[in-house]
Amino acid sequence: MLLESVAYARPDTVAEALEALASSDGAAALAGGQSLVNVLKHRVASVELLVDISRLEELRQIARGSDGGLEIGACVTYDELDHSEEIRSSHPLLAEVASHIEDQQIRDRGTIGGNCCLSDPTNNLPPLLVALDATMVIESASGRREVPAGEFFHGYFATAVGEGELLRSITVPPLGADAGAGYSTVAVGADSKAIARAAAVVRGNGTIQEARVVLACVSPAPMRHSGMEEALRGAEASVDAVKAAAERIGDDLDPLGDAHGSAEYRRAMARVVARRAVCQAMGKGGN
Amino acid sequence: MVDAGTVQAVEFTLNGEKTKATVESRQLLVHFIRDTLGMKGTHVGCDTGSCGACSVIVDGKLVKSCMMLAPQADGAEIETVEGLAQGGELTPVQQAFHEQHGLQCGYCTPGIVMAATFLLRRNPNPTEEDIRRSVRGNICRCTGYVNVLRSIEAAAQAGRAGAEEAA
Repeated sequence: MLLESVAYARPDTVAEALEALASSDGAAALAGGQSLVNVLKHRVASVELLVDISRLEELRQIARGSDGGLEIGACVTYDELDHSEEIRSSHPLLAEVASHIEDQQIRDRGTIGGNCCLSDPTNNLPPLLVALDATMVIESASGRREVPAGEFFHGYFATAVGEGELLRSITVPPLGADAGAGYSTVAVGADSKAIARAAAVVRGNGTIQEARVVLACVSPAPMRHSGMEEALRGAEASVDAVKAAAERIGDDLDPLGDAHGSAEYRRAMARVVARRAVCQAMGKGGN
Repeated sequence: MVDAGTVQAVEFTLNGEKTKATVESRQLLVHFIRDTLGMKGTHVGCDTGSCGACSVIVDGKLVKSCMMLAPQADGAEIETVEGLAQGGELTPVQQAFHEQHGLQCGYCTPGIVMAATFLLRRNPNPTEEDIRRSVRGNICRCTGYVNVLRSIEAAAQAGRAGAEEAA
């Protein structure tokens, strides 16, 4: 397949990458390319200059902070998330989720930053990062700014990253001893396109002190479900209590229906995945 | 300022041999391998990153070569299916696909052989689930997966036997 003519640059530093991105209105950052290359093939976006950031060492680090949190460079691949000792030990769910993104070939190229910046509502990592209360570090020529993951995803293929900016890294705070995380998907096929998805973090033993419940595939961006979160706060950490709280998910969701599932089906599946994710976060595998 | 251009000079290692070339920035790696270098073992099935027939190993990682641009190969070590057999001797993976009839029409085979080669390098003792997941990115439209899975299992056994013999 022949792409439209495009220039290619591979800068050596983030500063040079930002300069190259600012040099042309038609410049785009190329990370793993597992979506962008297809976009170029289908000519649905007009790109004049590809700025290849995939090999920038500055963006490829995984570091553990003094608080036990993680700072993950935007160009760390899914396969590297899956095989990182740092991630496996402090956020095993993140490694597990990354290990189920499509196939080995995509995991070898696709990056955590690309997954977030594409902001496809079916993408695997955005709801989990919102549930984990991650912080997105965005860099531009004028410096760095931090955006909570909950405010980063603006909708279909839109994020907080603006003109002349680059997502640099993602900071994931430690879960804490009294908290757990969970994740559940109903997909078209194994490790495939999601129909409904939920991620959750639950704090508290015996009684739930706080729950973050994030739904995906049912709205243009990952959404915390405040109704279910309220119902869980102060509730007994039991499967029955979670089932009751999940009933709060209903007509307030207005998902799009498509060939993979009607709006009604997605709403029903959102309740199922939310329940499963919260149960997993409580350490109760029971559905 | 960073050099940007619609044409790029690249240097890379292909199946162990150092190579230089000039590529168009828009050229896909798979077309570079097939059309420019004339190595036709790497196949084009879908051209959209769905089928895995174009899978090659780049710097030790399994990738679909239709999802990478040729200039991204600069400095890389690329392995294609042509680089597996040495002096006419098949690798354990190739030998197993031959013996277990791990192909029907053969179109998807180069990509699947590269996927299996990647799996067994990383994990010489794969479980059945590991083997099944290893070809998740490779579509066989003859639906010949039973023999594919059997071939990879046989290659794993042969590799273990070879390692014991060597020890």
